[in-house]
Amino acid sequence: MKKYMLKRILFSLFSLLVVVMVVMLLVYNLTDRKVIFQTDDTWNKRNENEKIYYEYTMYQKYGYLTFVNFSDYLGRTYRAELGDEYTKDPDFIADGKIIQKADEYLSNPRVQQFKEEYEKEGYTIRYLSPVTFKNGRQKPGGRAYLLAVKEKNPLLRMVDYMKNLFTVETKNQVQDENLTERFIRFEKDPYNGLFCIRGSGTLHKYLLYFDGRFPFIHQNFIHLNLGTSFTAYRGQEITKVITTPVGTPYSSMQEYPSLVGTGRLEETAVDFHTLRYNPSELTDFDKERFPDRYTVGDYRIKALSMIENSFVIGIIATIISYLLGLPIGILMARHKDKLIDKIGNAYIIFIMAVPSLAYIFIFAAIGTTVFKLPYKFATATVPILAYILPTISLALPHIASLMKWMRRYMIDQMNSDYVKFARSQGLSEREIFGTHISKNAMIYLVHGIPASILGCLTGAIITERVYAVPGVGNLLTNAINAHDNGVIIACTVFYTTLSILAIILGDLLLAKYDPRISLNKDKGGGR
Amino acid sequence: MNDNEKLVPVKDESGFRFISNDAIDSERIIAPRYSYWRSVFRVFFRKKTNTILLILLVLMLVSSFVVPIFAPYDYKENVTEATMFNLSPAKAMEKTGGFSFKYLLGTGSLGNSILYGIFSSAKTSITLAVICAAINMTVGILIGAVWGYSKKFDQVMLVIYQIIANVPYILLISVLVYIIGSGFSSFVFALTITGWLGIAYFFRTQVMIIRDRDYSLASKCLGTPITRVVSKNILPFMISVISTLLATELPSYISMEVFLSFIGVGLSAEVPSLGRMIQQGQMAFRTFPWEFWPPVFVSAFITIILYMLGQNLADASDPRTHM
Repeated sequence: MKKYMLKRILFSLFSLLVVVMVVMLLVYNLTDRKVIFQTDDTWNKRNENEKIYYEYTMYQKYGYLTFVNFSDYLGRTYRAELGDEYTKDPDFIADGKIIQKADEYLSNPRVQQFKEEYEKEGYTIRYLSPVTFKNGRQKPGGRAYLLAVKEKNPLLRMVDYMKNLFTVETKNQVQDENLTERFIRFEKDPYNGLFCIRGSGTLHKYLLYFDGRFPFIHQNFIHLNLGTSFTAYRGQEITKVITTPVGTPYSSMQEYPSLVGTGRLEETAVDFHTLRYNPSELTDFDKERFPDRYTVGDYRIKALSMIENSFVIGIIATIISYLLGLPIGILMARHKDKLIDKIGNAYIIFIMAVPSLAYIFIFAAIGTTVFKLPYKFATATVPILAYILPTISLALPHIASLMKWMRRYMIDQMNSDYVKFARSQGLSEREIFGTHISKNAMIYLVHGIPASILGCLTGAIITERVYAVPGVGNLLTNAINAHDNGVIIACTVFYTTLSILAIILGDLLLAKYDPRISLNKDKGGGR
Repeated sequence: MNDNEKLVPVKDESGFRFISNDAIDSERIIAPRYSYWRSVFRVFFRKKTNTILLILLVLMLVSSFVVPIFAPYDYKENVTEATMFNLSPAKAMEKTGGFSFKYLLGTGSLGNSILYGIFSSAKTSITLAVICAAINMTVGILIGAVWGYSKKFDQVMLVIYQIIANVPYILLISVLVYIIGSGFSSFVFALTITGWLGIAYFFRTQVMIIRDRDYSLASKCLGTPITRVVSKNILPFMISVISTLLATELPSYISMEVFLSFIGVGLSAEVPSLGRMIQQGQMAFRTFPWEFWPPVFVSAFITIILYMLGQNLADASDPRTHM
């Protein structure tokens, strides 16, 4: 069993890598990279060489290539030779200006050195010659540039990405000579009396703590970095984007870390559990209130994050679906070809055949006009009511599919010998259907339970769009429309991991539920 | 008595007479004539609803393929006349002078006729569904049959399946549409390049179940060639599976087109499609309901008919219902 699981996990990791590779090839190599400038105003405003240079900086930011500007290189070499005073050196100024002269620049020794050094490393040298009007005056943006450009190797890109996927916090993370002690240890949490793990020299002050916010236990040991957004959430980490609550911060009376126990309360919105190391100079305000340099924290926000919104809606819909779908399916099988079966079948046909977009809108129209429920998420006067319609519209298809399969498997089981035997023993129909058949029919459905729970984390595309839910469902589609390569890769990794995990968990649950099924190749009736 | 000896008929006074015992004739087995497909259709048409559904299907096909010839749809025909935008049926007819078939359902956001748009879009949707289903089902079933039968092929295909199934298909389609354009044929290409894989996987499991049945094993032991085992032992079982697949596949492409247009990676504006109409109508579906509900109901109508016909055909194709 252990060997089997290990093999399974290794294979899953392999397929995850291949999926990431395929998607990276799709977005980086098969799509024209110019599309990232479609909606870029800065790009539109720039001219000539400056525009090309701007393109290179953006390509570097998006991870297409790496490049070195000659003037940066010059600055670096002169600093190494002359120290910080290099900017006043006449040679430096002269060398910096040489690239503006298209016919002379190649003879400059520094330029030759630059070319030689970077061509050895596989870079190609690109010279953007100065653009001038006919009278010799430079056109706007026509300044010359000398660049060394290197396209990123797809394989290297993936290795880089995988390397940065997880970062672990250590006590030597912060570079600060004045830091007297470095440690990670258990301590009593001054805010709630429970224990916590506090670090010094780490990036976060608290590495493990408890509080009243879902999921109640929080850790800062390992950070998952799925990538950075380029356009949709400029420059932010995607993991942060989806887990940070969206809303206005609320302040309350709190004791600052230095003042705990003094009873001096001050109004602040900062959550002191999230304090991070502050590398810049401390203000007097901070010095009075913080015992150390951990002074930056997140604000408390009384709202759900994107992923929480999606998960809440999804998990409630899933629970409702199982609570309704399974019993109705059993009932339909028990009263096959009677009225309830016919009504149920009509519902199943409706949901299966009609485009999901159509019935979501139909139910939205009914919900908003007949029951006066709020339509758009942001405009709801009572926030909790806004969750009702999205939850229902997510549950509708799930109920239908559970009903369909439960009915099908129940009917398949109804002619089995054990049912005839149970009947001959005088068991009531209720008992036969309720416990014996349904238990066996459930075997086929157990496998899908982890998938439907984990699936809640990915959100729902149409439902969230129709009701304008601030969830994660539209992350991928928005990223595709905005050519946000970072988010596309992040979504792929996230979805793939969840789906692989769901299948493994499903298999384990199945083996647990039905002892006849063995995942071991040597046992059981494997084909 | 010797069997081969012919008995001579002897006249008997009681009226009985001897009949010769024909040894060759007695070996012949007489069974009622049975044609599989005739029984399928007999069972299929036993249900009254199927006849009605078929009539509706024919009506739908005729209207979506014949009407656009007489009522060509051009979404830009009134694009320069802002007064024609977003008109309700009553207002549109008032404006164009009396009753007109063209403005029976009002006008859209660019002054386009909703009714004509629906006929042309239905044509696109049905064509798309039929072409995609035909390609995906053919490829999927052929590969799925081999996949299910050959254990070596199974191992390779499972790896490929796990990888391709995990590439988000929205991404794949949008990248493909981006590379090869968003016309009708490239959209078909995008939907079919990996679309067959799911069908093949489903089919593989079905084939595996039948493959290891006792009678198949018996055939194998008796030395029946693989082609005969596949065509005589496995495929007949698959007909009801195939029709069930068809019942879900055909409507699924119409739904898929609607969904992809809704999220913005669908067909180009030049190709009239139900998804695009719904997507345009949904932005103001309360103020201009005539732009939104007609395409929704038409797409629902088409998919329900196709689904029910397919399901009923699947029921009829199961030999156990032929008794």
